Amino acid sequence: MANTMLELTNIHKSFGDNQVLRGIDLVVDKGEVLAVLGPSGSGKSTMLRCINHLETIDKGDIHIKGQALVEGGVYVNEKRQREVLAATGMVFQQFNLFPHMTVLENLIEAPIYVKGVARDEAIKTAENLLAKVGLSEVRDRYPARLSGGQQQRVAIARALAMKPDILLFDEPTSALDPELTGEVLKTMRELAAEHMTMVVVTHEMAFAREAASRVIFMAGGVIVEENEPKAFFNNPKEERTKAFLRNML
Amino acid sequence: MEKLLDMTALICQGAVVTLEIFVITLLLSLPIGGLAALGRLSKFKPLSLLMEFYVWIMRGTPLMLQLLFVYFALPMVGIRLPDIAAALLAFVLNYAAYFAEIFRAGLQAIPRGQFEAAHVLGLPHWHTMKRIVFPQVLRIVLPPISNETINLIKDTSLIYILAMNDLLRVARTIVQREFDMTPFVIAGIFYLVMTAVLTWAFKKLEAYYGKYDA
Ligand SMILES: Nc1ncnc2c1ncn2[C@@H]1O[C@H](COP(=O)(O)OP(=O)(O)O)[C@@H](O)[C@H]1O
Ligand SMILES: [Mg+2]
Repeated sequence: MANTMLELTNIHKSFGDNQVLRGIDLVVDKGEVLAVLGPSGSGKSTMLRCINHLETIDKGDIHIKGQALVEGGVYVNEKRQREVLAATGMVFQQFNLFPHMTVLENLIEAPIYVKGVARDEAIKTAENLLAKVGLSEVRDRYPARLSGGQQQRVAIARALAMKPDILLFDEPTSALDPELTGEVLKTMRELAAEHMTMVVVTHEMAFAREAASRVIFMAGGVIVEENEPKAFFNNPKEERTKAFLRNML
Repeated sequence: MEKLLDMTALICQGAVVTLEIFVITLLLSLPIGGLAALGRLSKFKPLSLLMEFYVWIMRGTPLMLQLLFVYFALPMVGIRLPDIAAALLAFVLNYAAYFAEIFRAGLQAIPRGQFEAAHVLGLPHWHTMKRIVFPQVLRIVLPPISNETINLIKDTSLIYILAMNDLLRVARTIVQREFDMTPFVIAGIFYLVMTAVLTWAFKKLEAYYGKYDA
């Protein structure tokens, strides 16, 4: 229990008549790298976006590091939500860097204004993170001057600058040209090797197979199957999983 | 030659009135337009509808009519304003409506992803607006604001009908008195200089705020 980073209990979410999540139960432990697979429209993004309250759930509980974000469909107050969600970070498909800020400014904005970190210290942390993702040389450039792969690595560094305990990725390589996905996946593999807790929605089967510690397969708003990668890929149990994997490989 | 200098001096006094109307209108209508745009996009329906109605009236009727209304119709219901205040009221209400539309379009052009990125970093709403959204809106709205501002310089000549001694009216008075077209030429040059200065200033601003474009 002490090792539980994230716990989703019986999550339901509809958009109008469209029931997108129909009872999701999921526990993610510290250090796990969870790959979330599933066909388009199965609710993967919605599940991820519910975790950090980009979407509001209709029913269920979400606990992050044992602390309630929402219980019985009722959210804790806004101040408390901020505290609970401070443990999470997110990387989007479209990067969503702030275009009017340099790379460095993107990285230090939230640490300074949300956490009250001193500017010098925020800059030092940012420079270390940029070195880590191999982008020290773009420190003072604007995002529009970077390739997609570089932008996404900056986005990862920006999320890391807030020192989250769990990082959520929503198809981080899907908007990239194929030749640029490698550098982003490499950064993610390095994070995985450092035992960063990650939930990664992806269509990159090689990443799921090699870097994930566990794989879940979603379809129609439920988790259909879940297993460790080897068993998941070599020996899928459910018909829908088999059909999906046949299409992907 | 001396006559020309006299004329220019008189017209300069008119230009001061024109610039006064211009500067005060701009200083008031920009922030009011910004607030009206926020009201228009507010989730509070009555406020949003009220702002939509206000913009509809102001953009759907001529500025000339609005000037006449403030100047002649308000006194009939007992609201009496000094001349310059009446002119300013009409100009500010009119231009704020145009600026409101420009700001609204600018705000709506900011992708949702920017708000979402700010949210997942824990940035509070007001901070997100101030540091993430408004600077990007500024970049988007500068060109249309520049257009409207240059229109305003020229629109100030409408106060001519209110018998206020602005640039154009002073010029016309001299023309009628002296039977000499030169004052119109001088007035034209004044307007050209003012619009040229504005165009230059906005170019500088656009370059400064657009420095992050690829
Ligand atoms: N903001 C929204 N409003 C209405 N419907 C939405 C919204 N977001 C997602 N949906 C719908 O929810 C379903 C699941 O979407 P999503 O979670 O994005 O799936 P996935 O990420 O697995 O492709 C889809 O049918 C989609 O049309
Ligand atoms: Mg998705």
